[in-house]
Amino acid sequence: MKQFRKMTYPYVLWISIMVVAPMLLILLYAFTKEGNSVTDFLFTFNNFKRFFVDSVFVEVLLRSLRVALVTTILCILLGYPAAYYIAKCSEGLKMRWVLVITFPTWINMLVRTYAWMGILQDDGIINKFLGLFGIQATLLHTEFAVVLGMIYNFLPFMILQIYTALTKMDGSLLEAAADLGANRTKAFMRITLPLSLPGVISGITLVFLPAVSSFFVPKLLGGGQYVMVGNLIESQFLTSGDWNFGSAISLIMVIIIMISMYITRKVDKTEVMEKRA
Amino acid sequence: MKKLIQFKNIVKNFDGTLVLKGINLDIYENEFVTLLGPSGCGKTTLLRILGGFLEPDEGTVLMDGEDISHLPPYKRDLNTVFQKYALFPHMNVFDNVAFGLNIKKEPKDIINQKVMRMLRLVGLEDYAKRGITEMSGGQQQRVAIARALVNEPKVLLLDEPLSALDAKLRKEMQRELKKIQQEVGITFIFVTHDQEEALTMSDKIVVMKDGEIQQIGTPTDIYNEPANRFVANFIGESNIIDGIMVEDFKVKFEDKVFDCVDAGFSKDEPVEVVIRPEDLDIVGPRNGKLRGIVKSVLFKGVHYETIVETSQGTSITVKMTVSEDKPVVNSEAGEMMSANDFYLDILDIDELTENFIISRADAQAWNPETSERISIYEVRHEIQKEKGSYPVTFSTSAGTTVTVNAIVAEINKVVDEEYGEEIYAVNFFKKVDEIQESLILDTDLKIWANAYAYDLEEKTAVEITEVEYDFDPQNIQPGVYDVTFKTEGYEYKVDTTDKAEVGASVGLKFGPEDLHIMRKQ
Repeated sequence: MKQFRKMTYPYVLWISIMVVAPMLLILLYAFTKEGNSVTDFLFTFNNFKRFFVDSVFVEVLLRSLRVALVTTILCILLGYPAAYYIAKCSEGLKMRWVLVITFPTWINMLVRTYAWMGILQDDGIINKFLGLFGIQATLLHTEFAVVLGMIYNFLPFMILQIYTALTKMDGSLLEAAADLGANRTKAFMRITLPLSLPGVISGITLVFLPAVSSFFVPKLLGGGQYVMVGNLIESQFLTSGDWNFGSAISLIMVIIIMISMYITRKVDKTEVMEKRA
Repeated sequence: MKKLIQFKNIVKNFDGTLVLKGINLDIYENEFVTLLGPSGCGKTTLLRILGGFLEPDEGTVLMDGEDISHLPPYKRDLNTVFQKYALFPHMNVFDNVAFGLNIKKEPKDIINQKVMRMLRLVGLEDYAKRGITEMSGGQQQRVAIARALVNEPKVLLLDEPLSALDAKLRKEMQRELKKIQQEVGITFIFVTHDQEEALTMSDKIVVMKDGEIQQIGTPTDIYNEPANRFVANFIGESNIIDGIMVEDFKVKFEDKVFDCVDAGFSKDEPVEVVIRPEDLDIVGPRNGKLRGIVKSVLFKGVHYETIVETSQGTSITVKMTVSEDKPVVNSEAGEMMSANDFYLDILDIDELTENFIISRADAQAWNPETSERISIYEVRHEIQKEKGSYPVTFSTSAGTTVTVNAIVAEINKVVDEEYGEEIYAVNFFKKVDEIQESLILDTDLKIWANAYAYDLEEKTAVEITEVEYDFDPQNIQPGVYDVTFKTEGYEYKVDTTDKAEVGASVGLKFGPEDLHIMRKQ
């Protein structure tokens, strides 16, 4: 194996230049003031102070967390029954269902989100249908539209994770439960559900993390008045050109994401620990 | 004893295959019953029907006189130990065992008491808080048994529960299971394909094959009085010999009449005689009831497994004419060519093809410098369907020719009425170097002589097990040699504690009670 180690050098170089260096730059920017020359830096905590002092920014952060949480919960509620149904299908049907679910992800997310703009806009197909009953609703540029767009984009990840966990389960466990007197509801609550929890948890990581930092869904479906953390960072870098503040917000996001990952991992662990306890 | 479970004419189909063909079986209280059979015999299907995981297509299952055929598993008063245990991986040992009691919502202190009592029964009281994945195979097995027994079922079903354990542990668990069954005093229905397991543990064995029950009986009954050839072969080892029941208590096989303990057959009824290897004794050649020659001895640890042949099989001897290799040389074309004289059966003439003639004559042409083979372009002959010798000429496109004789003769075969066998072979010609170069001479001799043996009754091929000749293949000289082909004769497997010499002439001794007579099927 040793002679192959050299082959990883180009990759290590690539990672260093394209990933590690920019991250270090973000770290540097976050703790410095605007107007640095190349040689000397002016270190400061002002960027962080600004974020937490100004209630607008904190509000944006809380909104992001709330939208991501709602998205994740709805994804579980919609995704679990779907995954359960697919896992119970015959082999051939399973494959077809998985194909149907992954099919939309072959098209770029951005394109699909644009499509939702068309569907949700004031003279879009939904409003035309509602118009038949004399109802007019503003759908686009609302929190509803943002959550809908996110669920649409992230639901397949949740379904596939739960589905994988369910198919890995040994069918004879349910027979054993029935043998020991458990009817179908009890067998589900005591066997299927706990054994599929690891799938739910990895589904959460795959939905919550991209949802909390998403910026194009709120931008397209939420419009200008609906700002999430992702949009805030984007505008700091691209519109106001305040790279230092943008970097600081990015760093705060990274820390929040790390904390939430730590918590989900911990929940997963306690599940495992309960088995051992 | 009371009938606890009754299977009545159970039929089960899987995708058009009949897995169970009308099973009728009664199981009594406090019995250790084993369903024994090879894989695919339907034993597990029958157990799953009783467990409620499958519904029979026809027939009923009664438990305590009530029809339970369509009751879901969770309403049945029985529990199962699954083949791969099916323990719940997200629960510890205690919670696994407590599962059934928790479902029934028994009070916590009662659950605690019962679970700990069960864990003590299976010797795992110190492991209650352990995770399932941390337990060894044998321990998981015990947990599975405790989990089932804690519900105090009337019947415990065990689906090949020991198959995943190693040999030593399996023996241990066999003894333990039997002990547990005696202690809790309920009916155990045990499924296995391991005959030794069945003999060790059961009160009653049900031997199954192809969805049908072959025999029901105690281990001793089934071992000593197998109902048919299948049971005799499946349970333990046995010598099975064709015989004729001359009259009550008299059976004839190998042209001799022997006393036996069986009666109730019609006069001169063809039967099969079973003799267990351990019931035979090897004695001096004059002291036994049968005489034979020791063919092989295998050491098996406790005993020697000795094979004694009492009479030889069917045999046929043919002549092999060996000549020096004298190929024809065609120096102009740079070719060499050779072929043998050969024999043909008169019956082969109808289906004579050029390829058949070329292979019988072993005709070949080649370039001596490159050793490249050259194809034979033409075969000329006027072979008639009449005995005689006919010239056959082989030629290549370059004009090299070889002429040999094809000898058409009557079919050469030996029919042995006693064995009901026919053996068949032809004389043949060979070159010295072909014999020297053969790596699988016995097989080549069979091919060259076109040797086959058939069972006249069943019209199937019989293996030629022996090829005898008295030349040294490496130093063979031109000449005529005898080659003899033989089928297997009557052979007896004998288990002895003393080692017999291979090739020794011995006698076989047995008593009337050692002969078990079965009706032919």
